Amino acid sequence: MIEVQNLTKSYGGRVVVDDLSLTVTTGSVFGFLGQNGSGKTTTIKMMVGISVPDGGSVRIGGKDSSDLSMREHIGFMPEAPYFYDRLTGLEFLEFCGKLFRKHRSEHAYSEILKQVGIYDARNRPINTYSKGMKQRLGFAQALVNDPNYIFLDEPLDGLDPLGRREIKNMIVDLKKRGKTIFFNSHILYDTEEICDEIGVIHEGRLLYVGGVKEFCKGQPLEKRFVATVEAKLITNNS
Amino acid sequence: MRVILVIAKNTFRETIRDRILYGILGFSLVYVAITYLLAKISLGDPVVLKSFGLAGIYFFGSIITIFLGASIIYKEIERRTLYFIFSKPVSRLQLVLGKFFGLFAAVTMTILIMAFVYFEVMFYSSGSFDTPALLAILFQILETGVLVALLVFFSTITTPLTATIIAVMALFGGHSFSSVLRTAHEIGGPLYGFVQSIYYLLPNLEKFDVRSAVVHGVSFSATSILITIAYAVCYATVLLSCANFFLKRKEL
Repeated sequence: MIEVQNLTKSYGGRVVVDDLSLTVTTGSVFGFLGQNGSGKTTTIKMMVGISVPDGGSVRIGGKDSSDLSMREHIGFMPEAPYFYDRLTGLEFLEFCGKLFRKHRSEHAYSEILKQVGIYDARNRPINTYSKGMKQRLGFAQALVNDPNYIFLDEPLDGLDPLGRREIKNMIVDLKKRGKTIFFNSHILYDTEEICDEIGVIHEGRLLYVGGVKEFCKGQPLEKRFVATVEAKLITNNS
Repeated sequence: MRVILVIAKNTFRETIRDRILYGILGFSLVYVAITYLLAKISLGDPVVLKSFGLAGIYFFGSIITIFLGASIIYKEIERRTLYFIFSKPVSRLQLVLGKFFGLFAAVTMTILIMAFVYFEVMFYSSGSFDTPALLAILFQILETGVLVALLVFFSTITTPLTATIIAVMALFGGHSFSSVLRTAHEIGGPLYGFVQSIYYLLPNLEKFDVRSAVVHGVSFSATSILITIAYAVCYATVLLSCANFFLKRKEL
């Protein structure tokens, strides 16, 4: 289970995440939705331990996010990832895998690369990869430790329709294997398809958390999302 | 320790694949080889050959170190590759140490390649192995360790250009402040106190410059060698601790 309690973060006096609390049940897919600059990435960075919260806490599988041992059990894919361009895809994946305590064979790395569809390019330098291939490699490194909790920041960004379908299928497959997936996305159509629950964040505050169907009330997710955010904007202005 | 080694190995691999490194290294090897011609011009005087050879290794070694080290942490922050690392069970200190050891190993390897060519040239021209020069190479490697630590620290808190300027100033100051301090001592007054504080802040790189002494056959005691090694280790440790301190407080 992922438990976020009263999470708060400010940059230069500006509150970016404001008293955010939510719970993600084990084995579910949670979509975290919001406009650009709403606080999605800051939240996910605090959840995986890259950024330190000003207040509140994050507990993943019962362990605090500041606990290094917690990170043995999570995978994280950053948004629009950059890589060590002079390494090959396989070398990069091995590097990521060796940062974990559990040893993995070269066969295991090859299997992950096959899973994300870049096995044939494994011995090519990363600087020869296309944007979509880099996105897949970013996804691959998030799976390298066979994590129980997977955090993905805009995983569908930069992918063509076929690539998006493949990643969505992988997320569904991971869920079937009992993994818990938390992801940020602004591609709402895809989110609606694969999520069990969603959270809607606007200007650092959580506007909604719960089931997708309950949120949509028979309308498309995108329409309901826009209506929710606009209603909040009107409230703020008045 | 395992994590530090993994990061060091990755840093080493990334560094030695840098094409510009080969450009500078190739140029430096040509220079060291050319010192043989200088020896011929100077009627086979071994002092000329040794002085130019060791100075060349030092000069090009320092250029390579600054070139590779000025952005070592900065580019990881800017390009957000640290997100991959810090979302895994890796502490800030492990990253700093891994980066330090990886770059230090890569630069040491380039110094040893230059030294190998130097010893070949020396052996070919004089027919004997220049054993005392080993000490000069060892001390240069120690100085490089301090310089790498300095660059790791400054690349954590500032841009590559600023880190480069500071490193060049530290190299210059670190080699010249002993004589500045002596002059300030003769003048006396508040100037001496000011110069003294800078002297203790800057790395005393003169401790590592034994090239002239080695060329002229001056020997060193084991104690003085051990003190120099301890100084390099202590200074680098302080710099790497500071780098860890600032990296922990940096918003990524």
